[in-house]
Amino acid sequence: MARIGADTHMGQTVILGVIGSDAHVVGITILEQALTAAGFDVENLGVQTAKAEFVSAAAAEDAGAVLVSSLYGHARQDCQGLHEQLAEAGCDAITYIGGNLAVGQNDWAETEQTFRTLGFDRVFDAETDPEAVVASLERDLDMTATEPERASVNT
Amino acid sequence: MLRDELIAGEQLRETESELRGRWPTGADADFEDAVEFHESLPGHKRFAEVLESADDPLLQPRAGIPRLDDQVELLRYLETEGGADLLPTTIDSYTRDNEYEKAAEGLADARDSGDDTLNGFPAVNHGVDACRDLIRSVDAPVEVRHGTPDARLLAIVTLAGGFQSFEGGPVSYNIPYTKEHDLEETIEHWQFVDRLCGAYTERGVRINREPFGPLTGTLVPPAIAIAVMILEGLLAATQGVRSLTLGYGQVGNVVQDVAALRALRDLGEEYLPDDVVATTVFHEWMGGFPPDEARANGVIGLGGATAALARPDKVITKSPQEFQGVPTREANAAGLRTTRQLVDMMLEQEIVIDGIDEEQEIIERTARSLVETVFSHGDGDVAQGTVAAFESGALDVPFAPSDSAAAAVLPARDDDGRVRVLEWGDLAVPDEVKEVHGARLDQRARTEGRSRSFRMVADDVDAISDGKLIGRPTASDGDTGGPGDGVGPQGGESDAD
Repeated sequence: MARIGADTHMGQTVILGVIGSDAHVVGITILEQALTAAGFDVENLGVQTAKAEFVSAAAAEDAGAVLVSSLYGHARQDCQGLHEQLAEAGCDAITYIGGNLAVGQNDWAETEQTFRTLGFDRVFDAETDPEAVVASLERDLDMTATEPERASVNT
Repeated sequence: MLRDELIAGEQLRETESELRGRWPTGADADFEDAVEFHESLPGHKRFAEVLESADDPLLQPRAGIPRLDDQVELLRYLETEGGADLLPTTIDSYTRDNEYEKAAEGLADARDSGDDTLNGFPAVNHGVDACRDLIRSVDAPVEVRHGTPDARLLAIVTLAGGFQSFEGGPVSYNIPYTKEHDLEETIEHWQFVDRLCGAYTERGVRINREPFGPLTGTLVPPAIAIAVMILEGLLAATQGVRSLTLGYGQVGNVVQDVAALRALRDLGEEYLPDDVVATTVFHEWMGGFPPDEARANGVIGLGGATAALARPDKVITKSPQEFQGVPTREANAAGLRTTRQLVDMMLEQEIVIDGIDEEQEIIERTARSLVETVFSHGDGDVAQGTVAAFESGALDVPFAPSDSAAAAVLPARDDDGRVRVLEWGDLAVPDEVKEVHGARLDQRARTEGRSRSFRMVADDVDAISDGKLIGRPTASDGDTGGPGDGVGPQGGESDAD
């Protein structure tokens, strides 16, 4: 099925990065591979990416989605104001965040709610398979796509 | 120009005085006063002496939370309930990024809310007196553990604060920990840190230095880690460091881990000057952990067992809550006790395992080749050579986020679970070594009925948290056979960024 996606997602740029002072690189490296293989145009901003860099990349690319990764527990402080800045830049991309989102051993439902309240459309824990992110993106981006989904070109 | 040469005393004092002005707490970090404080500490709080005189592997956890009182209480707990021989203070990520304002915000938030809003202890914000309170309040030597490319001010404050061991190094705290810090500049910054440690050493306060062996913590081929340890050890020795602990992170294959630790010890002795006391540290698995405490204890137990076989001087333990980040103090102490149980039960057994010598030989040959390429890249100067070798890709680290590394090397496990290299990039390794790796990976590909590809790497990264050592294809993967597989043989990956 990935090959169908490979064509329907052309032009839907996905912005990817690790926010704040965090240097955990392995997760987004693998996610980048999975998204690229699924046909998304991926702009990987890498580790230690400031809020403002997410916003300017999303605006410049007219991104369909902004995916924020954070493994070191400071995500709440790092993401304050991100959605307001995206809105000011005229960016209506859907937003995901994933990783270890709070310091310590926390109740996941509470953490998820915290980040939903900050404005994220989906919140993933650190155990999420890249395929689950791909599947969610395909669903969410198809829903917002203006063109009707084309038939399979996978002959 | 950057050279591997001793920083002059006058230059050390000038730089130190400039740095102390960068944050208000720097003012209290007076060197003479600090030497006096160190001299007042009893023998059992002197890090280098305790570590170097131990007969059996010493255990040390990681631990750092924002508030001083909580940190003291946590360390005491790890001492009494966990049986830690050596204590840590792990620094928060804003401080590691020299973002002292953000660390101040996080610390204020922690004090207001009572939550641990930072992932470590912001030592620069706390300052010299608070660090000394901490050192006075515990009964074991304490090390600063962090991940700071420019750790100069952190070193000034914490060494003046009575810490006697300082983790990190110019490669191991740049390549895995930062995107934008320039390697040449990072080496200069660490020459300062090492020179400061050397200045204490000259005054009889032998500060222990510990280059960070696990690097990116994910399937790092042992020879790469060992080469980096040797290079950082040499750079530190030039600046007067005389107590060095070289590190290595568990990969999970017992033969390869024991072989790697032996190679690390042998090459450390061979390459480092005679007046340096070199010890080794084994880090329990640094990659993703199972999201299940019982299984996580299994991973920790394998680390303890491996340590008992390889007998490093020190073991850095993990907790069964690793999968979710900073553990509770109870879980942290549990990781120490699990490790202790395995080490103590196995230490007195004579266990002979086949294949270690052969693996050690190939690791040493590869590591030597990497160290020698640095010497030749720098015309004999290690500092110049390290920068040039990373620039050319002759030295490289898998998954490196740093712009200073090619990150073209891609590792994967072989059919026995040993870490091999799938994509070499421009790594300076003899052809016969490449052939051995290639043959071992081909064997795995045949076993699994799929081609060698990035898919194997991704599967291996998740394997231990999924309950296995090797990321084998599962029935539900369906289409993982053959070259038509959508992921393909390593196409898009050129840089970890």
